[in-house]
Amino acid sequence: MTRDDLNALLPFYANGTLEGAELAALETALAADGDLRAELAALRAIRDTMQSEEVQSPGDLGLARLMRDVTAEASPETAPPAASDNVVPLTRLRLWQVAAALVLAVGLGLNLLPDAGRRAPQIDAAMSDSPAPAAVPGFALASGGIADFTVIFAPDATEAAIRALLLEAGVEITGGPSALGLYGLGLLESGTDDAARGVLAASEIIDDLQ
Amino acid sequence: MDSDHKFLMTRIAGGDKQALAALYRALERPVYRFIVSRLNDPHEANDILHDVFMDVWRSAGRFEGRSKVQTWIFGIAYRKSIDAMRKRGRMDLTDETVEMVDDSPDAVTCLAAGQEAEHVRHCLETLKDDHKSAITLAFYQDMTYGEIAEVAGVPEGTIKTRIFHAKKLLLRCLSGRVERGVAR
Repeated sequence: MTRDDLNALLPFYANGTLEGAELAALETALAADGDLRAELAALRAIRDTMQSEEVQSPGDLGLARLMRDVTAEASPETAPPAASDNVVPLTRLRLWQVAAALVLAVGLGLNLLPDAGRRAPQIDAAMSDSPAPAAVPGFALASGGIADFTVIFAPDATEAAIRALLLEAGVEITGGPSALGLYGLGLLESGTDDAARGVLAASEIIDDLQ
Repeated sequence: MDSDHKFLMTRIAGGDKQALAALYRALERPVYRFIVSRLNDPHEANDILHDVFMDVWRSAGRFEGRSKVQTWIFGIAYRKSIDAMRKRGRMDLTDETVEMVDDSPDAVTCLAAGQEAEHVRHCLETLKDDHKSAITLAFYQDMTYGEIAEVAGVPEGTIKTRIFHAKKLLLRCLSGRVERGVAR
């Protein structure tokens, strides 16, 4: 086995997957070669660094979407309508936006059935991309409902900041985001219109409030 | 672990959605991490992850159990990522190695000097896709070179070559950043 061969195996020694004759050959080489040992130390450090990196995966939101589509595929008659050209697909929204909607829907006991009669018109565009939540029990997203306010969150607003603001204002996300990034907010039972509007208007993470 | 996954695959092939959910929970994070490391676009990676598990749902009956479930699923993710990159016109189709400007020997010092994650992330991004994928599967997923070869659909020797070059370039890049005192 050449030195290049051994060198190519070094990452697999670092990740602990090398076995048999290759493992034995590499251990022999490592015992005799300081440069190889130094390289191994560097590779282990790189591996440790890579493995310690946190990744924000879709998690339960992705699972909800998967279950929705699997259910729709299994029952063609319940498949969601095709998205129109002027609608931003739910799947391409920023993750925190969807996460905020889901967290609030679950945490605040949102009524997931849309009320078309009182829904803000700007929110309608986003609705057409979502299936009827009741069609997939346990995997629904908050995508429709009563909107007392329509807002646009600042692009750099975090999910945590949005959640804190909504709780402070006594409102919940009832729809959106639309293609323009508009969200519908509805008052909770404990909230009042004036108080909520004041809190929302004063917030730095609200770019627009209607 | 793999026997659990294979059991779930059998259930999925029989139309068990809860088994699909269990498999998703088990593998979603590493598969997503692999995809996003290749595409560097969380939104697109989100869509591809979804497509991967839709394929698992549709194709579970064709899984013959000759490989690990994880390897099979990573193979799907690998091919879908390539498709996505081709659509973007961002695909390197050869195994030619591009030599890096960064060049000095002390990568260990670099990693001991702080900001390791930033340095590693930067240097990974300088690698061409084939090299980055091989290193990612070796170091994020702790796969054997045989498993990586199966995921990528190439001979084991090709993976060893890719790893050899990727490692060399990665270490050079890291060392070069330290020598130049690059903070980010």
